[in-house]
Amino acid sequence: MTAGVRGAVVLLVVLFGLLALGVFGPDLDFPSFYLVLLGTVFFWIAQTSSWNLLSGYAGYFSFGQAAYVGVGAYCTAVLTGRHGVSFYWTVPLAAVLCGLLALGIGAVAFRLGSLRGEIFALLTLAVPFILSAFARINGDIDGGQGTIVPPPEAPGDMDFQQFQYLLALIVAALAVGVSYLVQHSRAGSALTAIHDDEDVAEVLGVPTFRYKILAIVAGGMLGGVAGSVYALQIGFVTVESVFGLTIPLFVIVMAVLGGRGHWLGPVLGAVLIVVLQDRLSSYGLDSWNAIFLGAILAILVAAAPAGLYARLKARPWVALIAFVVVCGVLAIVNLWGEELDWILAGLLAAAAAAIVLGTRRKPVPVPQQAAPEPAVSTVEDEPDDVPPVGDVVVECRNVAKHFGGVRALEDVSLDIRTGELIGLIGPNGSGKTTLVNLLSGTFRPTQGEIRVGGRDITRLAPHQIAHVGVARTYQIPKPFASMTVRDNVATAIMFGREPMSLRAARPLAEEHLATVSLDHLADSYPASLNLHQRQLLETARAIASGPKVLLLDEALAGLNPAELDNAVRVVRRIHRSGITIVIVEHLLRVLNQVCTRIVVLDRGTKLADGEPRTVMSDPDVVRAYLGRQAHV
Amino acid sequence: MRIRTLTALAAAVVLTVAAAGCNRGSDSDSASGKGGGPPIVVGSTLSLTGAFAATGQIHKLAGEEYVDRLNAAGGLLGRKVEWKVLDDQSDQAKVAQLYERLITQDKVDLLIGPYATPNILSAMAVAQRHGYVLPQHTAVLAPQLTYDCQFPAWSIGPTPNKFIPDQLFDALDSLPTPPKKIAVVTSQSGSAAFVTDGFGDDKTGVLTIAKDRGLDVVANVHYPPTTTDWAPIATQVRDADPDLIISNGLGVDAVNLVQAMKQLNYTPKKMFALFPAPGPLLALGAPADGILSVSMFEPNKPILDKLGAKATEITTDFTKRAKEAKLPYTTFETQAAASWNAWDILAAGVTESGGTDQRKMCASLHDKGADTTFSGHLKFDPKDHNFWPTTQTLKQIQDGDWVTVWPKNKAAAPLK
Amino acid sequence: MNVVQATLSGALIGGLYALMAIGLSVTWGVLRVINLAHFGLILIGAYLTFQLATSWGIDPLLTLVVTVPAMFVAGAVLQWIFDRLALTEFNSLLVSFGLLIITIQVASNVWSADFQRMDATVNPYATESVSIGRLVFPVTTLLAFVLAGLVVLGVHLVLRRTFAGRALRAIAQDRAVAGAFGVDHRRLSLLLGGAVGATAALAGAVFSLSNALTPETAYEWFGIVFAVVILGGIGEVVGTFAAGVLVGVLSGVVSVVWSPATAPFVLFSAIILALLLRPRGLFAMGAVR
Repeated sequence: MTAGVRGAVVLLVVLFGLLALGVFGPDLDFPSFYLVLLGTVFFWIAQTSSWNLLSGYAGYFSFGQAAYVGVGAYCTAVLTGRHGVSFYWTVPLAAVLCGLLALGIGAVAFRLGSLRGEIFALLTLAVPFILSAFARINGDIDGGQGTIVPPPEAPGDMDFQQFQYLLALIVAALAVGVSYLVQHSRAGSALTAIHDDEDVAEVLGVPTFRYKILAIVAGGMLGGVAGSVYALQIGFVTVESVFGLTIPLFVIVMAVLGGRGHWLGPVLGAVLIVVLQDRLSSYGLDSWNAIFLGAILAILVAAAPAGLYARLKARPWVALIAFVVVCGVLAIVNLWGEELDWILAGLLAAAAAAIVLGTRRKPVPVPQQAAPEPAVSTVEDEPDDVPPVGDVVVECRNVAKHFGGVRALEDVSLDIRTGELIGLIGPNGSGKTTLVNLLSGTFRPTQGEIRVGGRDITRLAPHQIAHVGVARTYQIPKPFASMTVRDNVATAIMFGREPMSLRAARPLAEEHLATVSLDHLADSYPASLNLHQRQLLETARAIASGPKVLLLDEALAGLNPAELDNAVRVVRRIHRSGITIVIVEHLLRVLNQVCTRIVVLDRGTKLADGEPRTVMSDPDVVRAYLGRQAHV
Repeated sequence: MRIRTLTALAAAVVLTVAAAGCNRGSDSDSASGKGGGPPIVVGSTLSLTGAFAATGQIHKLAGEEYVDRLNAAGGLLGRKVEWKVLDDQSDQAKVAQLYERLITQDKVDLLIGPYATPNILSAMAVAQRHGYVLPQHTAVLAPQLTYDCQFPAWSIGPTPNKFIPDQLFDALDSLPTPPKKIAVVTSQSGSAAFVTDGFGDDKTGVLTIAKDRGLDVVANVHYPPTTTDWAPIATQVRDADPDLIISNGLGVDAVNLVQAMKQLNYTPKKMFALFPAPGPLLALGAPADGILSVSMFEPNKPILDKLGAKATEITTDFTKRAKEAKLPYTTFETQAAASWNAWDILAAGVTESGGTDQRKMCASLHDKGADTTFSGHLKFDPKDHNFWPTTQTLKQIQDGDWVTVWPKNKAAAPLK
Repeated sequence: MNVVQATLSGALIGGLYALMAIGLSVTWGVLRVINLAHFGLILIGAYLTFQLATSWGIDPLLTLVVTVPAMFVAGAVLQWIFDRLALTEFNSLLVSFGLLIITIQVASNVWSADFQRMDATVNPYATESVSIGRLVFPVTTLLAFVLAGLVVLGVHLVLRRTFAGRALRAIAQDRAVAGAFGVDHRRLSLLLGGAVGATAALAGAVFSLSNALTPETAYEWFGIVFAVVILGGIGEVVGTFAAGVLVGVLSGVVSVVWSPATAPFVLFSAIILALLLRPRGLFAMGAVR
């Protein structure tokens, strides 16, 4: 059983257990207070899990969770309180309203503004303020006076606590379920890719806008539904109680504390903080409550910056033993506190144990071979045949790119035919990388048009251009840091021209890794790779999407001679497999060996274009590189 | 190294918490009833931290004083009374949760309400579910309080949105030159807006009543509770040149408004503030002189003399406790009196019904009412949601202190 | 006339907003730390002003002699903690939130949760104002405006003209490379933390001149301060000042022309617009970053 399936099984077991507790608990004399406490835990689990979808997985921190809680709560409050609508209708309505709100925020932030990081966070911060002002102004909503939420009839002969509990449980289960499903689906990989490097993901073929909208809308809807149920819990909805900053701040605290990249993280965080607050408040240490809470919060975040889940996962047995031991000892000794205290103490002990012991990292399997890989040399004798040159696959017509006053490219026209291996050279600032950026869609040309395979790509989004068949690498490799080497390549395949699941993509990824001779490092993380290996990873990822044209942006920079030879072999191998290559380089000796054609750019214009030998001896080219006084 | 230091710190925190919890645990164990039986435990929450904490403290002190006096006089039905009060952090969700805990987990005998209307409403829902009697101190919007066994300690009658403007205008009509032009400045908060705009379908409020009485509303401003810049509001009021400013706000809204007007070199002719925090207005000094407000009780000498020595003792003791707690304003006034009433109601329910059976208590309170030190005998009519005929008075700042000035038969000094 | 007065008052109180926001903005922009504890520093600064003025019976402004150095130290210590922990930006938000919670509780324990306000006998400034014709300049906000202007001018000059300033800007752009050029970011960040603490003392003092204090007041500042930081651009010093004034003026004018209830609605909608049109800040002139 994979970790994913194991997780699902545990989740379902826990869910059924909790359901049973809710349905049969009171009959078995289970203290109803625990149902209420669990209800609170479920509310926070729902909020943190829904927040985690966009902010945890994709890294777009949102400060506006209060917006969804507020809209959901007000939807229920106003409709049931003032218009007598049945509670059950207000829940889906809340979901719809919040979904629309999230859609609006997403459309504005992602499409209109292309806002990232802290700017996005600040935008989401502004939303609850606007909504609360709106609620206050609008007499139909409540004009600031607050609305009573009449409790609905509990079905059957359930008492109210049970009813609340089950409602909250269902919503929380929904949120966690969605969280889990997203994580284990293509959406999850896409969001992780977006988190690590959104631009790279987009260029690789991930439709980033679509997935971000998906995440924000799903998160919004879940938050709204949870807000709806929350209105029942508090019984009286005011602007301050639902649009305040406390909820979003604590949502962030819990989710980050628990670990934001995994569906289990927010659950852990919510449980810990809610139980902690409950215990602190019951000790009657009113003037110390907040001090303890703040201190524990600060300490835990500082000690486990990636979240508790990561620590617990690294040391599961340690944590479990610590929990059981502490809990058990306290229970047996029974001198202090009650069950919840013991559980809390156990949780804290487990966290502490995992953190302290987890810092001793298991030695990562360092690739035994140092720089010159003997593995590579086994494929020395490769046939030297060059594939035939075919039809035009990329056409640039009068392409220009201006950045304000800077004319990076001016009137460049270029035809690239299938089977070619073109070297793109020129002094620094001549516009080589800009041209690559235009071809891959990172920028749009200011003038002119570009066609790939007959299609005009000037209006297409980068991920669409990727699907048309253009792939590129970056000068400084940008792997997805939180995925393994294999998954890095698998992501490119998953979002390539033929969509497929991660499981299906992995074996194909291994094949591509073999092409660049990196298959022995498939399970490592990019952080443990050296520069050359990272460049090979870049290349493997680029070819994994099955492109027609591969743009290599200074893929040979910084390599020692042995690595250089290896890289050249890889480039040749890729070329032979039928991919047209454009390689931006400075190393003329390599280009001479490998290229079928050389294009020279100088200060944004095409200076020369033709056979390597001819171009190299062109006096204009020499002058451009070496200056006017040079002779060759 | 850093991780280890942090973990050491964390361990220290945990141990301290544990030690404190240990303390707490042993505390509750040592609660022994000296003769008469086990102690009667009263459970409640109060906002000791958070947005409502400023006033929550007053209720804590008043409650503690009440319980001490009660126990000194032999307790209730011969049993000691214990008050288990938890901090709800001004958070409605916590109020509901904590009341559930008090009832189902700690199995307290009696309940008393928290502070601030939203919290009271949340607590009321819990009390209703479990059938507990809930005396509550400060929720005055009668239509909202729908639970039969909720008993208000502060009543402005069944329609406070009508009573308050009527009382104010009646009082001002007794002056040689009653105001003709009024400016109304309202906080968009549940606890204040109803006086201006009415509540729900009942639109009666300052605006409608002023119109009925032929007064001219020259300015009508609503502001959010989060307002930080009072100059625009003050400017509008100044330019409207009203005879009376009605500030239906809470906390320090009135102080901020007066200050802003003073900065504009404008002195209002007459001003009324609805539910101000009493201390800060006094600290403003001369500009606050003459401001009117609603009151249930002020410890003015004539009033105390009428009520008797016990009342005076209570107010003096409260001031002592408040000083020890480092509160800036130590006077026993409306808020504390409301608290006192709530405890009186609770005690009356117990003694009249002869026990802590909630249903009997509720019935007996409905039948026999309750005797309170500061508000006399209270009668609870379920038709009016138990809101007894109000004894509300108006107070005014005179010579740097709050003095009851209306109605005439209850006044300690004449209205100026 | 109303509108003119509202604009004026708004601009002046905008100075207070800016004074509060500058510290947060600069630490965010230069040191990549979102320091919510800054609100705690302002709160303590305000309470200290209240306490010292009331206990010693001195003019509240004189208390600055004590509070500014005290808050300087506090700010430096805070920054030292952040440096030692080497947190990511958003994690620093959470840790500082924890510290803020602690600070607020300590304030509550020391000064009670009730409203504390300097008596009129101690603090004559609350109701004073300077008049020019029908236009009025309240003394407290005038003071805030002037102080904010001075602080902004000072910081701006330091960042542009001194070595320390240039070094700070280098750190903001690339700490590692700056280090390679011999810039010791630790000492400089302590200095910056202290300076930010000093501005918190100023802001707190001015706030306490015209407001009653409760521990929860710190939370009430969040909205306005973040609004100013957003509009001004993170790390932009002069931009923050301009944004503070803009926020004050916009709120004031909307309050007078329309209603105070609509002011937050307009303000935060304007912020969203501003974020879309000029995400780096309305007044971003490429100062620090």
